[in-house]
Amino acid sequence: MKNWNINFFAYRKYYFTISIMLIVVTLACALVFGINLDIQFKGGALLTYSYTGDLDASAFQKAAEKVLGQSVSMQESTDIATGKQNIVLSLPTSEGIDAERQAALAAALNEQFSGNEIETASISVVNPTIGGEFLAKCLVAIGFAALLMVFYVSFRFRRIGGWSAGVTAVIALVHDILMVFAVFVVGRISLNANFIAVCLTILGYSLNDTIVIYDRIRENRRIYGASMPVEDLVNLSLNQSMTRSLLTSVTTASAMIVVSLVALLYNVNTILSFSFPMIIGMVSGFYSSVCIAPALWTMWQKKKAA
Amino acid sequence: MKKVGKPVFFIIVLLIAAMGYLTVAGVTTVYGDSTTRAIKGIDDVRWGIDIRGGVDVTFSPPEGVTATAEEMDAAESIIQVRLVSQNITDSEVYTDHDKNRIIVRFPWKADETEFNPEQAIAELGAMANLTFREGANIGPDGKPAGDTLNKLVLEGKDIESATAVYSTASSASTPEYGVELKLKESGKQKFAEATGRLIGQPISIWMDETLISAPTVRNQINDGIAQITGQFTSQEATDLANKINAGALPFALVTENYNTISPTLGAGAKDAMMMAGAIAFAVVAAIMLVCYRLPGLVAIIALAGQVILMIASITGFFSVFPSFTLTLPGIAGIILAIGFGVDANIITAERIKEELANGRSLDSAVDSGFKRAFSAILDGNVTVIIVAIILMGSFGPPDSLFARILSPLFFMFGTSAAGTIYSFGYTLLIGVLLNLLMGVLASRLMLKSISRQSWARNPALYGGKN
Repeated sequence: MKNWNINFFAYRKYYFTISIMLIVVTLACALVFGINLDIQFKGGALLTYSYTGDLDASAFQKAAEKVLGQSVSMQESTDIATGKQNIVLSLPTSEGIDAERQAALAAALNEQFSGNEIETASISVVNPTIGGEFLAKCLVAIGFAALLMVFYVSFRFRRIGGWSAGVTAVIALVHDILMVFAVFVVGRISLNANFIAVCLTILGYSLNDTIVIYDRIRENRRIYGASMPVEDLVNLSLNQSMTRSLLTSVTTASAMIVVSLVALLYNVNTILSFSFPMIIGMVSGFYSSVCIAPALWTMWQKKKAA
Repeated sequence: MKKVGKPVFFIIVLLIAAMGYLTVAGVTTVYGDSTTRAIKGIDDVRWGIDIRGGVDVTFSPPEGVTATAEEMDAAESIIQVRLVSQNITDSEVYTDHDKNRIIVRFPWKADETEFNPEQAIAELGAMANLTFREGANIGPDGKPAGDTLNKLVLEGKDIESATAVYSTASSASTPEYGVELKLKESGKQKFAEATGRLIGQPISIWMDETLISAPTVRNQINDGIAQITGQFTSQEATDLANKINAGALPFALVTENYNTISPTLGAGAKDAMMMAGAIAFAVVAAIMLVCYRLPGLVAIIALAGQVILMIASITGFFSVFPSFTLTLPGIAGIILAIGFGVDANIITAERIKEELANGRSLDSAVDSGFKRAFSAILDGNVTVIIVAIILMGSFGPPDSLFARILSPLFFMFGTSAAGTIYSFGYTLLIGVLLNLLMGVLASRLMLKSISRQSWARNPALYGGKN
């Protein structure tokens, strides 16, 4: 790898403009399209049946509505791995879908569509109270993790202005979480437990990137003393750690790209809604660690000195 | 830092290879007819229900019923008994007393062809049918037979309560654990009659069609208060009391929260993810070799060691760590660790390159490369450890270590049923911890050892100039 010599700090206005635009677009999309919560969080029911042969989907829907006594929405999909076709019924509430009713529905469908070998592939029923509680718990977990990160970074980097390091690192993290959120909003993926897992992982991963850079700033400050202007110090440190930041992002992201491709090929949606946002989070994590956090930190230091 | 001997590199490689073989194959000892699995191999991995299919259900009392902690314990014991009687041994059952919920997870059995999740859930949550029957005549199928089948002494509705006690019975001289049974008015007369007639004979206690105890009648009991003793441990006495209480439970459990997955749905996903893992490893290995040559090779060996040890901590290879359920996100966590695991090696190799460029000798460059890289590696890994602990604490079962640590934070929320993410937190955590072992310690030993071999003295192999 070559030696880098980029004046990162000089381009700060571009970074901020790009990031703010992306965030504004994301939030606008969220407002326009609305935020789609998975039934894991908002409660409801998702019933997936596999079948073979040809099936009159609207008759299937009507039959289900008759047994359940409420309207259901329906989606069809094909599972490439097993070659079976699936029908997914979704209901807005978890009421009246207890196990007995469920059994009655399966029996009724099997009777009416006896030629289609209907089998229950998966059932997911979530009580809205439990779902809402779960969402609140997840948000608390993310908030708590972010708080711990501020404290940890502030403590470890107290020699280079602890709080400024901690707070700017966490601003970068919020940026990354918003980018992950953008994938879910733009891709119309409903927010589920995977979203929370990705957010938490990106928190740790992106912060790791930022820390490696701050570590270098801390070391260079020791070597060159306070006489080196802060933007030179940051630029030097960024260029020195650039190859590492890039390569680690490449190895980690390529592992997740492989996962995404395989998941796409085999139609493993639960994993795809995990690995793809993870890639975006990693790209954002690299960008925010190299561009956003150090630039903010430099501005903070200059302001303090002025 | 002291010099590291030349053979150390080969010793570590051999150790990793041996560990790899044992982790995959496991060790089975055969002594006479009995076969013991001494070390668990990759076939012993407990796959999560998202892979092999199964049920994840939350039971609660019906709306309007406020259950006491004892009633919830009793309800849990019904479920435990029924799981065992349905031959489901691999289940997880958690009771959340604050929210009055019981979370049950169980996979389909490997040989199950007829799977019927609706029925399984309905059976688990139904009201318990507790009976006291004359004699202890057990048929070959484990169900009551003969007189025991036909002659009922008491039913669940006759029971007031059962409590585990530690006391001295009238017939014994030392105190022991037992269960004190209190009967309702409806049961006193029937019990007095039966105990009077059956002195010296057993009365068996059944939940549904499963025998839970068969005490022998010592004397007639007229006041409706009986002691069951029989060299119980404290735990056994509590279990028996819970089971009897379950029979007196005035409500059936309801479910508005459950997940079932058919066994075929996840099997293909598992194989796909395994393949993804292998490809990801190859990609990362190629990148490392091209970019860093010799330190890259060391990184690949260390990474292989890391993956092997991760698998070992999932299968239950080390008997101190129990085996861990592996889910699809858990496999994704392993693959993430493959991508991220070389980070420590990258930071170090970059440092060595820099030191060489600054005109240092090979030995001192390797030495100071590791030394100066360590603070960044440590700080970075600590943040991921924090995240992994929060993941495990928020998505894990209520009795797990991290859930207890975080319970002050989550006190207002119930136990969450996201076992799949819990597994991800676990693989993330062990990935980071093992990374400190393999990516830092083992890599350092290997690189220092190999750099003393005469063929490996050329700084170009480390990214420096000839």
